[in-house]
Amino acid sequence: MISKLRAFGEYGVALSLLLFAWWYATGPMELPHYLLPTPQSVGATLWKMLVAGELIHHQLFTIKNILLGLLIGTLCGVLLAYFFFKLPRLGHALEGPLVIMQTAPKIALAPLVIIWFGLGLTAKIVLIFSLVFFPVFAGSLAGFRGIDSRMHDLARLLKLRPWQRFYHIDLPAALPGIFVGIKIGAVQALVGAILAEWMSGNQGLGYLMTFASATYKTSILFGAVLLTSLLGILMHALLNTIESTLLAWSIEDDR
Amino acid sequence: MIKIKGVTKTFGVGADRVNALTPVDMHIEKGEFIAIVGPSGCGKSTLLRLIAGLEDVTDGSIDLGSKDKKRPVGFVFQDAVLLPWKTVAENIRFPLDTSAVPRSVSDAKVAELIALIGLTGFERALPKQLSGGMRQRAAIARALADDPPILLMDEPFSAVDLLTRETLNDELLKIWEQTGKTIVLVTHSVEEAAYLGTRVMVMSARPGRLRKTFKADIPQPRSEETKRDPRYLDLVSELRTMMREPVL
Repeated sequence: MISKLRAFGEYGVALSLLLFAWWYATGPMELPHYLLPTPQSVGATLWKMLVAGELIHHQLFTIKNILLGLLIGTLCGVLLAYFFFKLPRLGHALEGPLVIMQTAPKIALAPLVIIWFGLGLTAKIVLIFSLVFFPVFAGSLAGFRGIDSRMHDLARLLKLRPWQRFYHIDLPAALPGIFVGIKIGAVQALVGAILAEWMSGNQGLGYLMTFASATYKTSILFGAVLLTSLLGILMHALLNTIESTLLAWSIEDDR
Repeated sequence: MIKIKGVTKTFGVGADRVNALTPVDMHIEKGEFIAIVGPSGCGKSTLLRLIAGLEDVTDGSIDLGSKDKKRPVGFVFQDAVLLPWKTVAENIRFPLDTSAVPRSVSDAKVAELIALIGLTGFERALPKQLSGGMRQRAAIARALADDPPILLMDEPFSAVDLLTRETLNDELLKIWEQTGKTIVLVTHSVEEAAYLGTRVMVMSARPGRLRKTFKADIPQPRSEETKRDPRYLDLVSELRTMMREPVL
């Protein structure tokens, strides 16, 4: 509890310092506003958009895409990793091609994704999926392969059915590895969602950024960037909470 | 009860072939407590894993005399191998939960086992919160949960301190008397083997084989008194002599 309060305090101090520097640069230092808008004007713009309901709409659109891409990417990543783990021959045969695909810069392929899947939602989800899938797959595979061999002995002794074995032993045992993948994937999902919105469509925080920069509305651009960072921090905090709840068993107690 | 006929086990193929076990014949009666002792690499753990069905025999046959049972053996590993994400009670219940035993039945069974094994008050603890000895107790309870006629134990107490080990030995004997299970226990301690077993089998290494079987003619029930009994002391020294003399 005390350490949590302290973390909040440290965040607060860091944010205040940043805000002060920002204010100083735009106020006493007199930086032109088209380069750096004042914190007051960004706040006012965000507030106006919030009241108009616009902000929530864009925010929710981005969040929805991220969650959908993250969910599909995680499901596919974990399941394919399990197949690779269960069928080692298939795994070894397909691992090479997969690694090559993994090293391909997915962001550079984004225009291609738009060409293939159109300007709508599908392309956005596909792009996020491709960014989430690989880290989750890699983390899960490492997790499954790292399971203590005596756990497999236990499953054999108890003559567990494949489903029981997956649900009771393999999945929970690999969960720490899976979570490493999900946490990397979540950051990637945010990048993918913003990128996809830059490229097409008229909704979301990424769209807000391109709209604002095209029309020289720097305060909206700043607001969108701030909200995106905030979204990233929230996702990180949420995943950490889920992780510490689900994986309490794997964290050594200080005794 | 357990009939082991000409069982051999080799690992690897071609030039890497290793004979882990040369033909072993063994007859174990219902309710016996067999202690298998031998140096490392003598194949004692391999033999136990063969009986458990964790490895397939290269040659020969093993008959457990209980084909109808889904799980004829309970197995206790060297380390407890509890599922770290489940509580003590959930771990003990695990064999019952995975064979569709109704909750009311399994709850009663778990309560009974927790009392038998002396873990009352720790039902909801996670394995990481327990000491090594307590984890091993929970592992024994889990092995007993769906009432297998045979209990196999692979150096179950080698990871706990000496005092705990002696306590656990006594409790294991108590459990054996109360439940009438057939127990096969592998150990590298001759004292433990002589103290626990009704018969002690000595194995030797390179190649792994059964050298001699001793009948432990020491009165039951065994206790601290037993450790001063000349028959116990004789057996210990006989076993030790055999373990130390070079194999021809």
